[in-house]
Amino acid sequence: MFKFVLRRLIITLPMVVIVVSLTWGLIRLAPGNFYSGEKKIPAAIEKNIREKYGLDKPWYVQYGRMMGSVLRGDFGNSLRYQGQSVNQILLMTLPVSATLGLFSYLIALLVGILAGTLAALKQNSRLDYASMALAMLGLSIPNFVLGPLLVLVLSLSLYWLPPARWGGFPSWNLVLPVLTLSGVYMAYIARLTRSGMLEVLRADYIRTARAKGLSERAVVFRHALRGGLLPVVSFTGPALAFLISGTVVVERIFALPGLGNYFINANLNRDEPLIIGIVAFISIAILLFNLLVDVAYAYIDPRIRY
Amino acid sequence: MFSLRAKSVCLCAILLALAVYSAGCATQASKKAEFFGKVEPPPGQVLRYISGSEPESLDPQVGTGQPEARIYMAFFEGLVEYDPKTMEPIPAIAETWDTNKDSSEFIFHLRKNARFSNGDPITAQDFVYTFRRGLAPALAARNGYLAYEIKYAQGYNEGGSFVRDTKTGKFVTAAEVEPEAESKGQSVEPAMPANASPHAAELAVDKENPSYDTDFHHFMHEPVRLVVAGDEKGREKEFKANPKLRAALENKELVPVKAEDIGVEAIDDYTFRLSLTQPAPYFIGLMPHQFFRAVPRKAIEQWGDTAWTLPEHIVTSGPFKLKAWKPYNEIVAVKDPMYWDAANVRLNQISFYPLEETTTMMNLYKAGEVDAVFNHNVPVGWLDQIRPLKDYMDAPEVAIEYYQFNTTRPPFTDKRVRKAFNMAVDKKALAEYRKIVKPLTAFTPEGIFPGYPQPKGDDFNPEKAKQLLAEAGFKDASGKFDPKKFPINEVELTYNTAESNRQVAEFVQAQWKQNLGLTVSLKNMEFKTFLQSRAKLEYKGLGRAGWVGDYMDPYTFLALFSTVGGDNGTGWYDPKYANMLKEANRQSDPQKRYELLAKAEAYMLDAQPVIPLMTNATNWVKKPYVKGMYPNPGTLHAWKFVYIEDDRAKWDYGVPKLTSDKPTTAE
Repeated sequence: MFKFVLRRLIITLPMVVIVVSLTWGLIRLAPGNFYSGEKKIPAAIEKNIREKYGLDKPWYVQYGRMMGSVLRGDFGNSLRYQGQSVNQILLMTLPVSATLGLFSYLIALLVGILAGTLAALKQNSRLDYASMALAMLGLSIPNFVLGPLLVLVLSLSLYWLPPARWGGFPSWNLVLPVLTLSGVYMAYIARLTRSGMLEVLRADYIRTARAKGLSERAVVFRHALRGGLLPVVSFTGPALAFLISGTVVVERIFALPGLGNYFINANLNRDEPLIIGIVAFISIAILLFNLLVDVAYAYIDPRIRY
Repeated sequence: MFSLRAKSVCLCAILLALAVYSAGCATQASKKAEFFGKVEPPPGQVLRYISGSEPESLDPQVGTGQPEARIYMAFFEGLVEYDPKTMEPIPAIAETWDTNKDSSEFIFHLRKNARFSNGDPITAQDFVYTFRRGLAPALAARNGYLAYEIKYAQGYNEGGSFVRDTKTGKFVTAAEVEPEAESKGQSVEPAMPANASPHAAELAVDKENPSYDTDFHHFMHEPVRLVVAGDEKGREKEFKANPKLRAALENKELVPVKAEDIGVEAIDDYTFRLSLTQPAPYFIGLMPHQFFRAVPRKAIEQWGDTAWTLPEHIVTSGPFKLKAWKPYNEIVAVKDPMYWDAANVRLNQISFYPLEETTTMMNLYKAGEVDAVFNHNVPVGWLDQIRPLKDYMDAPEVAIEYYQFNTTRPPFTDKRVRKAFNMAVDKKALAEYRKIVKPLTAFTPEGIFPGYPQPKGDDFNPEKAKQLLAEAGFKDASGKFDPKKFPINEVELTYNTAESNRQVAEFVQAQWKQNLGLTVSLKNMEFKTFLQSRAKLEYKGLGRAGWVGDYMDPYTFLALFSTVGGDNGTGWYDPKYANMLKEANRQSDPQKRYELLAKAEAYMLDAQPVIPLMTNATNWVKKPYVKGMYPNPGTLHAWKFVYIEDDRAKWDYGVPKLTSDKPTTAE
């Protein structure tokens, strides 16, 4: 187990280096520059800018500098937002995105697992059909539709909740984005749980448990759920990594100062250090969460050994 | 457990029903409602304003966009300010100003009680510092070019050098190396506009103010010195363009142009003088620009060029000071008691919300969470509902949209073809389709510059268009225009990705199809990619363009084509046109100057490097209780005049009057 974790951690570094290098190359390929705008700037001013930011150096020098700073864990200063370091921006935006992501996922987990389990236990009942129909609906309504719909009803007609902006934690501003974000995940988790549970409920060890005379509660919670939730667990890793590292659409619709909002603008602004910083952060997050999932597997499913 | 599911089914059904109901409600209510959404003045003279995308920086000399400009106007003040209604310059830190006879020199008389937010007085030296800092190559300010009219400013900003004879110690003048002929057609211009046309203004000693006769002033009136590129490569280029230059540089030493050489001077603590390279009567209109607003020398020198804007270090010069800055969330400005006119500032606080999603803004506005939004933010789909309401702000803007031709690639090298494509677009129909804009046939915006005899370009005339195309050689045996002969594959219309740009492009495409039988293909590009293709003249045929005036004068539009490079983007350049503009600016009588500018505009329109499309409209909303805020042509608001009115009787019902009721200039 320890060896396994260590091996995975060691792999993380070259993975990040590869991802960052690819990103850097792609930024270079994209036309335009962080300083280019609607009005063209005179050549001399462009020269001043290129000298100031070291863009006049050969590409390998620039690459080396960039990689050096990434490896040191200091991504340098944003080119667009003068005087702000990428690390500062990450520290500032992460709590926003993480609050939003964690809350949404928590709600999605609670509702999704509950609905999925019930549906599986009462397979082919009206409850099963109803919850799966809802889940289907949830999956097919994208969040850029669900969000505005919720806003239209709850803030613009009823004036109950603020339609956008960050109000800190906890605040009423959080309700709509969390609901919007959790919708799809809720639906997906419900379906995953249901199919996982259905499979497990037919397994031999469940029959054994029942034969031992265990109560239905013990069978479901102690034995079936453990196995039935495995698909949900493996889904949780990447899902959580994505949720925490910013959800572009929801953060934009609700004007939240999270990573996603910064990320999309960083790309439009060709803000290289910021793009690299966020990409590196997201890739590390995904790798780590996947590792966590694999470790969690071993605990949940006694058959799995590393 | 079952009931939970049932509940959520119920909830969903309710939600859906409510959505349908409220949508119905909204349309119903709009028939009666006077305003869009909630109308409740916030307590405590607090304004909540949506200012656009997150500012790049709080340094007014660094940020270049409109979103930044709106915020800077709270924190920084310049010599003059934009009139809240007309955007003409009005006194700010300068109480009055004079110009010399040909407007190549401006003298500003500063008020004695202006202070920074830390209590330090704002003097003429602070403006000298501000102007020099903005132009320093090390700052690499993108707006630096705005100050290039100031003497030797361009040379300093570009790292250029004077040329001095080591023996005599004399500087080589620009006149000595003036190339014989005007630059040949479309060749590269000399790197420095060798404006050797003898400086019209004589060194007139002001008899009333002998102190104005300074050594520096004499230096400014010496024959214009030659400035060459500071580096070897740049000079080689210049030698190629002007063979006389190489000889002139032999056995001479290069003296870098320093900050102290540029034409800004503090005659005394409260008198500030600007010396320009050429007559530029419009230059005063540029002085309220963010780039020229007073920045604090002490704080900048203490904390450095970027760190000084952090909330814990920043020192400001405007009516408001920074209280908090939460990126992507909120910038809080509070009234600054140190401000010289603090007694007349009525707002206690402005919360700027940096936001880009139009729908989100309008949602916040409707819910009463913000009091006003910036321009262009009522989505076209909502216009029918919002436009009749009394909080809708509608007025023309100092901004136009047009399509430019790549005049360096056939078939648009031919003026007749360009004219034909212009005549085949019905701009009135386009304006009706776009709902809020005004049709445009000229290159200066419609109805913005009072007294300017704006020329009219060619009208909509499809028959003439076909005839012109036939004349250009695209005709069948009978001599009539034949669309099949036209190299339509060489032409496409490129625009930057945006819903509104696509709509306009499709409309114009349909016009050409209908009127000329030509189907021009459309191509959209991400913004920065598009800019590059436009700047390098790589686009095929036509490209979308827009221009927002930097100041309230037709010249800010007409100057686009006074150079080959820059924002021209069409490849069309005519020295005669450039000279007509120069000639106009030398004219001291404003009306005569306007006439000359109009003549130049007509000349340019005749060459048709562009297809003018429309004058933009401001298109925004503000709550009726926000007073002192007007839909001026640039949507730049002098915040010191804005306030919240609780008395319903005094609210704005409709667009407030835009004509100024007080004298706007100090002259």
